[in-house]
Amino acid sequence: MLAGSKSTFKVRQMETDIKERLLSQSGMNARGRDVFELRCLPGECVLQRAVMVRKKLTASEGRGWLSGTLFCTHFRVAFVPQDAPKADDNADPILLGDHDVALASIEKVVVVGPNRTKLVTPNSSLKFTPEELVLYCRDLRVVCFLFDRLTPDAQVIEITHAIAKTYQPLKPGSVLSFQNAALGSVEMKQFLSNRRRDAHMNWHESAADWQRELERCGATGWRVSSVNDRFEMSTSLPRFIVVPQKVLDTELKKSFAHFNDGRIPRWCWRHPRGSDLLRMASFQNNIYHEKDDIRNLELILFGCHSSLCVVVELGEELPSTADIQLAHGRLRALCLGDISTSVTVPDDKWLSTLEGTHWLDYTRWCLKKASEVACLLRGGHMTVALQEAEDRDLSCVVSSLVQVMCDPHCRTRRGFQSLVQKEWVTAGHRFYSRGNYHRDNDKEEAPVFLLFLDCVWQLWSRYPSRFQLSDDFLLALHDSAHLPLFSSFLANSQRERSRGSQNLGQCYTPVNGWRDPLHPDSGPEPPDPPLPPVWDWSLRYSERRQAGFTQPVPPASAPRPTLNGNLNADLEAGKPSDASPGSVFLLSRGVFSCPANLLPWRGGVGSGISGVYRKSHRRAPSSESVPGLERLLRARSLTEAPSGPPPDPVQDPYEPLLPLLMGPCVGLWKECYHRGALHAQAFSHPLSANHRHPVELLGREVQRLQERLARACPASSSAETPRPRPAGFADLNHNANNGTFLFPRHHGSASPPKAPPAPSAAPALAAAPKENANKHTFLFGHATDARLGRANSKVPKSNGS
Amino acid sequence: MEKTGSIDSLGSKQSSSRHPSVDSLSSSERSTQVKAPSCMLSETTTSAEFSPEIRVKPKTQAKVLRDSDKEETQLLPNEVVQDMAQDVTYFCPFTGALRGIVTVSNYRLFFKCMDREPSFVLDLPLGVVSRVEKIGSASSRGDVSYGLVCKDMRNLRFAHKQMDDTLRKSIFEVLMKFAFPVSNGLQIFAFEYGQVFPENGWKVYDAVSEYKRQGIPNESWRITKVNDHYELCDTYPSTMAVPVHIPDEELKRVAAFRAKGRIPVLSWIHPESQATVTRCSQPMVGVNGKRSKEDEKYLQAIMDANAQSHKLFIFDARPIVNAAANKMKGGGYESEDAYQNAELVFLDIHNIHVMRESLRKLKDIVYPNIEDSHWLSNLESTHWLEHIKLILAGALRIADKVESGKTSVVVHCSDGWDRTAQLTSLAVLMLDGYYRTIRGFQVLLEKEWLSFGHRFQLRIGHGDKNHTDADRSPVFIQFVDCVWQLTRQFPAAFEFNEYFLVTILDHLYSCLFGTFLCNSEQQRLKEEIPKRTVSLWSYINSQLEEFTNPLYVNFSNHVLFPVVSLRHLELWVGYYIRWNPRMRPQEPVHQRHKELLAKRAELQKRVDELQREVTNRSASSSSERAGSPTRSITPVQTFV
Repeated sequence: MLAGSKSTFKVRQMETDIKERLLSQSGMNARGRDVFELRCLPGECVLQRAVMVRKKLTASEGRGWLSGTLFCTHFRVAFVPQDAPKADDNADPILLGDHDVALASIEKVVVVGPNRTKLVTPNSSLKFTPEELVLYCRDLRVVCFLFDRLTPDAQVIEITHAIAKTYQPLKPGSVLSFQNAALGSVEMKQFLSNRRRDAHMNWHESAADWQRELERCGATGWRVSSVNDRFEMSTSLPRFIVVPQKVLDTELKKSFAHFNDGRIPRWCWRHPRGSDLLRMASFQNNIYHEKDDIRNLELILFGCHSSLCVVVELGEELPSTADIQLAHGRLRALCLGDISTSVTVPDDKWLSTLEGTHWLDYTRWCLKKASEVACLLRGGHMTVALQEAEDRDLSCVVSSLVQVMCDPHCRTRRGFQSLVQKEWVTAGHRFYSRGNYHRDNDKEEAPVFLLFLDCVWQLWSRYPSRFQLSDDFLLALHDSAHLPLFSSFLANSQRERSRGSQNLGQCYTPVNGWRDPLHPDSGPEPPDPPLPPVWDWSLRYSERRQAGFTQPVPPASAPRPTLNGNLNADLEAGKPSDASPGSVFLLSRGVFSCPANLLPWRGGVGSGISGVYRKSHRRAPSSESVPGLERLLRARSLTEAPSGPPPDPVQDPYEPLLPLLMGPCVGLWKECYHRGALHAQAFSHPLSANHRHPVELLGREVQRLQERLARACPASSSAETPRPRPAGFADLNHNANNGTFLFPRHHGSASPPKAPPAPSAAPALAAAPKENANKHTFLFGHATDARLGRANSKVPKSNGS
Repeated sequence: MEKTGSIDSLGSKQSSSRHPSVDSLSSSERSTQVKAPSCMLSETTTSAEFSPEIRVKPKTQAKVLRDSDKEETQLLPNEVVQDMAQDVTYFCPFTGALRGIVTVSNYRLFFKCMDREPSFVLDLPLGVVSRVEKIGSASSRGDVSYGLVCKDMRNLRFAHKQMDDTLRKSIFEVLMKFAFPVSNGLQIFAFEYGQVFPENGWKVYDAVSEYKRQGIPNESWRITKVNDHYELCDTYPSTMAVPVHIPDEELKRVAAFRAKGRIPVLSWIHPESQATVTRCSQPMVGVNGKRSKEDEKYLQAIMDANAQSHKLFIFDARPIVNAAANKMKGGGYESEDAYQNAELVFLDIHNIHVMRESLRKLKDIVYPNIEDSHWLSNLESTHWLEHIKLILAGALRIADKVESGKTSVVVHCSDGWDRTAQLTSLAVLMLDGYYRTIRGFQVLLEKEWLSFGHRFQLRIGHGDKNHTDADRSPVFIQFVDCVWQLTRQFPAAFEFNEYFLVTILDHLYSCLFGTFLCNSEQQRLKEEIPKRTVSLWSYINSQLEEFTNPLYVNFSNHVLFPVVSLRHLELWVGYYIRWNPRMRPQEPVHQRHKELLAKRAELQKRVDELQREVTNRSASSSSERAGSPTRSITPVQTFV
């Protein structure tokens, strides 16, 4: 497979070699810059270009048309607007500009001629000169370029062919050559290996990272174990796992065999009220249980709460991965209007067809399950263990949704990134298989991660001001998941990932002669380019776009209070002795039960030892705690009218954001799925260059007043008058029209509830990371300097490091 | 003093008590929680059970809520309690049965349950009651049960013990009397309600000055007084604009050819191209294909008044089948033979009966229970959004013809008071930014709906117990829904907010204000509505800040072309499903926007003040030391 892909790469190289040299000769001289202002990556060659092309802008880009030059390289279709600012030669290379499309994300190339449309494949020939070029992307974007009459016909046809030939339709092996085109050059490798990781987020890779997370959550009674350091216990678990303090590694080792793929119960998160969230795979039932094992198993499962453990079985009320794949396929087909086939769902059947995809049902189910779990955790002092057969798909969704709901930190951009690292990347979600990047395993493909992003968006759209991250960020993450360039998504487990990165180093030697049994022929040889993590946003998003990833929010709260002290005291008081674990309940279909075979080692009839064990240890589950648990759950379903006003979110920032789950409340993420809708053009109206967003107008008003102030006393203020930053406002502008929500971005700045009353404008801004502070600074004019200083000083804190 | 006090009780209370100070901003979360119940906005109400109920009417009950130990409700001026009953059970579909006290006045039903904390309150203007039915007293305990079917998408059920004293009427019998005053020979409460507001809403619309705003009269259009005594057409206003070259005598002959005498009259004229939107009723063509020279000449005159185009578009709102069927009843549509240069377009919008049925189906699927798993297909089967789409699409075509085609259009349906009103008012809303302001929208309603004779009395059935009346139809609700769809797609283009639209719909039924009473201008004049009742606009314009969209930008020169695909339309959850406490919005976003504006005002005021100070100081000090009043800047810094 590898050899094959390499040769295709070579063949393609030769094919275009001459043309390349012709086109990019001057470009190479000017350090990777083409004469027409395309800033090439090191080693990137322009295959073809067309001048006088107009790009159709989407709703979020402001609509209308942008004229410029279109390029096709080995790696991307690039578009350079006419009046784009000159690229800085010394800046770091950016993989994709704001208007670029990576070849690997193109799914279909369609050209529109005078009176026909045609799907262009590598082998097809064009019998007419296209007027329009439409790129259908895997991430549901539809990018549309319009050729001018002045564009030379030859250029139009050539570039269409070039794109059609190089866009790499789905086939095994094409991904590698794409990666090589992007990152394969020596300079690029050098550049990537020198790149620093974002130190403000928790990567959950080292023991220290996990320790940091334990401290952040105030979780005591747990420790980081390196028992799986060499992936000997479980190939899919991360190196470091968090287990109860009282379980020794030697005891722990015996437990792995009792769980599917060795995925024993592990700590994920602690609710500030003291409950712990665990995840685990299903039990290996056929294993003989020794008495000591059982004690350990229960210790692990109960964590530091000896009295109550609820096992939440995720298999039953949630969609299967096959369901998700099917639903997503239908949703794509429905939303992505396709002009080449002109098969669209008639408008009057839109609603029922949308319902028929079941995608919205599945988001609702996931949110429902997660809110159940969140309500349980809110009750305090128990262990909630999520159990899924493999513990690698929906348990990722549910455990991370729970944390987004309950933990304000996870609603910041970096907190969210840390969360995805923790619950998805290192936890062993099979991104590689689920993404099916190589198109060699359709059976495994399932966009579980995209379903999760949709769920987060549902929460976001209900509680926009409680999120520091923005919907643009979710969208960027959504799109990135379709791009086979990131180490985060191109492996199934931490083990595979670390194997990949070790291959990079020249001095890789297998530890203790250990070789990967699955890929025996993968030596240190293959020159895989080093893949960057998805979180390295500046590789492909401009500063301006990145500034839109966050929005100012009221500060979540003071850093987490020292809950542990108190809670632990309570715990100690009411804790039964170690040896007698308490009740275990199963939550299934909203009902708690206590089936005898819940823990296979308890009450197992056949095994004599468990019988003995049961006699000595098993306490009848206290039936009176069932209603208690159910009451916790009921708080979620608002069918029972809540008595009293809802809890004040300001009083308790950890009060979960419970989504509304009724039919009318679960909406379609239009900004994502409707981007390609071809009929959405009429939106363009009241937005034009002359009319700006109200918030911008407001900013200008204040600025104007300040200038008048300045004129009155010129000496003092000339230095202080802040300059307007129209760029920062461009994205605000677009929101004016995004029909689905009333200006999500601004209310955050409106009311910083927790802020002290004194310097009034400052707190909202100070809490936001620096780029946001900048974005909004000029609203408040003269306080800029002082506040920026403060914003900076606050950044580390609000990032929860 | 008296006057301001009463206004306070009606709602400007919290806005007057809350000065937009910087402090209030930073503590906003807290204050939002506290004042939410009085805020009426769904987004800000936080006490779950009764959030929707509160919105029904002005906020007297907000007071009641606050001093919940006080037993009786705060009454409106001239509101009189008619009956009171203890131990009545209200079967709330969301919270279960509640026991409490029911009070019935000549304006409202008030139910209060003290068992709960906070106490549960239901406040229902009797005008929204469509029907009261006694539900079979099969209950073994001898309870009598009553169901109230309401016009605003809900049904209420009450029960109380069988009266021991058979002579004593049930409170619901009393209610029936006051809920249907017209049927019982009583007066609608609007005639008694004597509230005085600082603004007089009856002065909002003046036909002559509205035509003047549009530049009428001009060289092609004149204002005619031919209908001054409603002799030409009793459902038209006294002031109308018609082509200059058609004398009044000819208008009468045109009127003879148009159903109910509703001749084509000017709705709106494009300020630049002079393309016009005109409205009328169907021509009386009949089965024999009758023609009218005068009518043909009249339409030609309308076309000629616009030099930009040699074509005229006639939009018939009906499906072509219905239009043809109307020929049997003497009506019909313009034949293209008779009307040269005119192009006839059918817009496929269904009649009032179809719309009524569609809304009934919608009510069935949203109240009280929603079936989650089939929500979308159920919604589709009501066809409500499809009807909304057709109306919007029709209005869009009209607006597009006028704006892009620079062509004049004539719009009619059968009588020209239902679908025509929807289409013309939506089209001009897209075309003219003035109508997107609060005052402009009021003018639009006064003109296109009230003065041109949309039959509110018949369509809503104010105070009439005949709930099966086939003339009832949610035509106006549909129009407001379309406006809401526009506000969703162009959130910054409208000066008013969602609450403004909900308030209009609430008072469409409440019978508290005289605005939506009667069927025509003539009737309104006869009933002396402006003299004897209060206008809804008086109430609204006296507390504009409640109804203002904080993000409004005056895009007055812009034409709105909405996307009318069903993919971009949404169900107006904030109106149709607002009674369901599970639907309440999660965040007071609107409140936050408002606070942002208040903050802007505050900042601006400070900057102004400081600037004045600087100017003064530099003026006074310039004689001594020129241009160095540095210190005056510092206050800005410390403050901001």
